[in-house]
Amino acid sequence: MSDEIKPDELLDKIDYSTGGGSWMDTPVQIRPGMYCYASNPKSVETLGLPNARAWNPLDDDWQLPDNWQEIIHQGLKERLDRFRTFKVFMDICVRCGACADKCHFFLGTGDPKNMPVLRAELLRSVYRNDFTTAAKILSKIPGGKKLSGSRPMTLEVLKEWWYYFFQCTECRRCSVFCPYGIDTAEITIMAREIFNLLGLNIDWIATPVSNCYQTGNHLGIQPHAFKDMLDFFVEDIEEITGVNCAPQYQKKGADILFITPSGDVFADPGTYTCQGYLILFKYLKEKYGLDVTWSTYASEGGNFGFFTSHETMKRLNAKMYAEAKRLGVKWILGGECGHMWRVIHQYMDTMNGPADFLEVPKNPITGTVFENAKSTKMVHITEFTADLIKHGKLELDKSRNANRVMTFHDSCNPSRGMGLLDEPRYVIQNCCDNFFDMPENTIREQTFCCGSGAGLNAGENIELRMAGALPRATALKYVHEKFGVNTLGTICAIDRAALTTLCEYWVPDVEVAGVHELVGNALILPGEKEREEDLRFEPLPDSEEE
Amino acid sequence: MDLKQIVKKNKKKIVDQWFKATIETYPANTAKILGKDSNKFDNPVGSTTRETIEDVVDLLCREFTAESLETTIDPIVRIRAVQAFTAAEAVSFVFALKRIGEELFDADRIREFDRLVDSIALAAFNRYSKCKEEIYLLKATESKRRIHRAFERAGLVAELNEEDLLGSKKS
Repeated sequence: MSDEIKPDELLDKIDYSTGGGSWMDTPVQIRPGMYCYASNPKSVETLGLPNARAWNPLDDDWQLPDNWQEIIHQGLKERLDRFRTFKVFMDICVRCGACADKCHFFLGTGDPKNMPVLRAELLRSVYRNDFTTAAKILSKIPGGKKLSGSRPMTLEVLKEWWYYFFQCTECRRCSVFCPYGIDTAEITIMAREIFNLLGLNIDWIATPVSNCYQTGNHLGIQPHAFKDMLDFFVEDIEEITGVNCAPQYQKKGADILFITPSGDVFADPGTYTCQGYLILFKYLKEKYGLDVTWSTYASEGGNFGFFTSHETMKRLNAKMYAEAKRLGVKWILGGECGHMWRVIHQYMDTMNGPADFLEVPKNPITGTVFENAKSTKMVHITEFTADLIKHGKLELDKSRNANRVMTFHDSCNPSRGMGLLDEPRYVIQNCCDNFFDMPENTIREQTFCCGSGAGLNAGENIELRMAGALPRATALKYVHEKFGVNTLGTICAIDRAALTTLCEYWVPDVEVAGVHELVGNALILPGEKEREEDLRFEPLPDSEEE
Repeated sequence: MDLKQIVKKNKKKIVDQWFKATIETYPANTAKILGKDSNKFDNPVGSTTRETIEDVVDLLCREFTAESLETTIDPIVRIRAVQAFTAAEAVSFVFALKRIGEELFDADRIREFDRLVDSIALAAFNRYSKCKEEIYLLKATESKRRIHRAFERAGLVAELNEEDLLGSKKS
């Protein structure tokens, strides 16, 4: 175990020097390559959020309102009253350091302020100063401020907050190791809410949120283009399989409404995962008469509102239930996505629910009742597909994926946020013979983040992303070299995009694929022609040999 | 004893000292954690740094080319290229070897050893530049590859290719 300290290491920890000064004395340096561009004022305006203006994080003047310190103080006060977790997390940390070396950003960048304990301390120090009696009393004696670890809110402190709370992907790996269960992600969530009170969002979050609010998805793609993309997938699938897998849109009275992140529809390699969904739904329609509908209105499963504020998350999430209600479906099926599932699993039910107009999800083909989703009424597609496979309802030809030597990256939110650990592995292993897990301290609950989640998958912060991706890449490289792994499976749209770039830099011979891309390749559609190519138009392993 | 034999004989000492000097290029709080002898996957920077240093010192004991030296030093430079180091700081860890060499080699050998260190530094600098080029290329092309390519495949966007652009210039 890495946590066991050897005697000589313990001795090494005793530091007899006077030290190089406190972290509070180390000023923040906002470095290009590590931060995301500031929000576009138009996007901030669309959402009706305050202080929309063009600003640059590298400028001295951030064009804050005159009373910005008061806004932060009030913002903190309201959130301390409203969120008991936040209040508790501010008070109970004993700075034991168990989380210190668990963050991928700390491990990758080596910046001490990325230790979760210290990142939280950036905010706690101001909390102590403003809200705790002990710090107020201690401030009256010489050296008391240092003793209480408190400091007043200044522009320097705000810049430090902004820089480091946008170097946290809210992945919650640190919380797994905290003996008190402190969830640093919630501290980041609060900090980002406070930034939004001052108009300090980043554009990679603000503009997708604005697009989603106006048009229905993060990329701002209008309904006809959404349909055009799916039509194009249908053409490709027909060319490969000879079967027309055209989906239905906005069909009233369908059994199930299917919602997936727009990345699956518009961004490679998620597009191949999307084709897998289309093939699966066609199969289920033909074999069992299952009636699935898509929606161009609820055309986004992801929710970047989650990285803005609770209120913004609620506004974007509402359309899922609204569309399910309008169409009169029985329940909702959700695609392969990351944070979408944390929002659904932990917030949707109390935020926009209860959805008592929907039925408790039951797979009409197998009779399985998804008890875990009886309140949210929304089922993850890998649970659904795993259930179909378990009951022998899918005919799968594994040989079509024989060229793939797979491993699986647990996306932070489905694994740590909702405990979805075995279903994706089960689906992969039923679609492909070659599967090797990465080392145990890098998967399942202990999975390492891709380094690009929580709205940080931009281009301008690529050095941060590549540094944050290092722990995941190290484990991936290990299975690549040891077992010849050539494909990294994942169930998150951000992962599919981010891990592709990660692989190019760290492990160039590994490709990234969604789990339902494998399903789409393996599933034998009724009436299909003999397939010669996979969904990427690459020759199938068998036909290559011939 | 020739230089390679002296390096081989003192391999552990060189590796330990070079590793320590490299890890100390990080802030003190970080160096404490990265310097720990922990599980490879819990401490990727520390473990990769140690493994790479071992590999480079191993290489020095054998015949090697500029190319094999560059490939061997890649993992450590690849990490430092995305961290908060300037270009000089990123490759400076190589020069710690000169200080280590002073204790090991007599006056006759030290110049030879220093030249060896210089060649490692040049290999590291080459690799650093390549990593930076890769980063800039990824930065320039990733969104285009991801989203634009999907749109192009679907015929939803059309863009002039290089040939078209040259053609329009002519006309």
